[in-house]
Amino acid sequence: MKPGTYIHIVETFEHPPARVWRTLTRPDLMAKWLMPNDFRLEVGHEFTFRGPPIPRVGHDGTAHCKVLDFAVERFLTISFKGSGPQSLDSTITWTLEPKGSGTQVSLLHHGFDPDNPFHRESHRLMSSGWPGVLRGLGELAGSEEAA
Amino acid sequence: MNESESMDKVFSALANRSRREIIAMLAAGGDRPVQEIADRFDMARPSVSEHLKVLRDAGLVAERRAGRQRLYSLSPGPLRDLRVWVDAYENFWAGRMAAFRSALDEEP
Repeated sequence: MKPGTYIHIVETFEHPPARVWRTLTRPDLMAKWLMPNDFRLEVGHEFTFRGPPIPRVGHDGTAHCKVLDFAVERFLTISFKGSGPQSLDSTITWTLEPKGSGTQVSLLHHGFDPDNPFHRESHRLMSSGWPGVLRGLGELAGSEEAA
Repeated sequence: MNESESMDKVFSALANRSRREIIAMLAAGGDRPVQEIADRFDMARPSVSEHLKVLRDAGLVAERRAGRQRLYSLSPGPLRDLRVWVDAYENFWAGRMAAFRSALDEEP
């Protein structure tokens, strides 16, 4: 995959796959670590994540999602669309793999179009680290001054 | 106490060099009596007790009685919350993964 089109993170947790799966897919737990939602583990189920609006990526705060596929304790794939016509239209897959008595979790978020400025900005926000945050804070301070 | 108030306590507890040094000492190995902490930092015992009280109120330090002694050790919870807070600004997914780790550890 081309750089700028995806985000890939791999982390290992000391808990067994059953527990990791539960934290990953139970809506109330998902709300704790990701965003408030009306998720249900069922292929084809359409749901939303409700977060803060991010105007500079054309996002009003609601992400429109759908469960595309899953296998219990193995993987979950969802689509993840921003709210504007130009905003992010992407896919997220979590893959679980037993590692000793723990679990390795791989997160692949792909579908960023590097030629689309909103996508480029989304990718930056979701993966770039402190320089991006500092720029964001600068913009925020600027907008507060303007208000 | 809500989440913001408990974070206020953690941040103000950490806004003091002596208390950060006490945390570093307890991080290296827990269950220390007050006197040992006082000796290490060349501090009067009452002021060590006062620092320990602030750390305890913030949830950073746990106290355990053993006979006539009170032993102190580090409580990792608030430091982990702090990491979640910092990570959230680092980037979206790293922050979510850190929050996922906390949710996973907390769930019985």
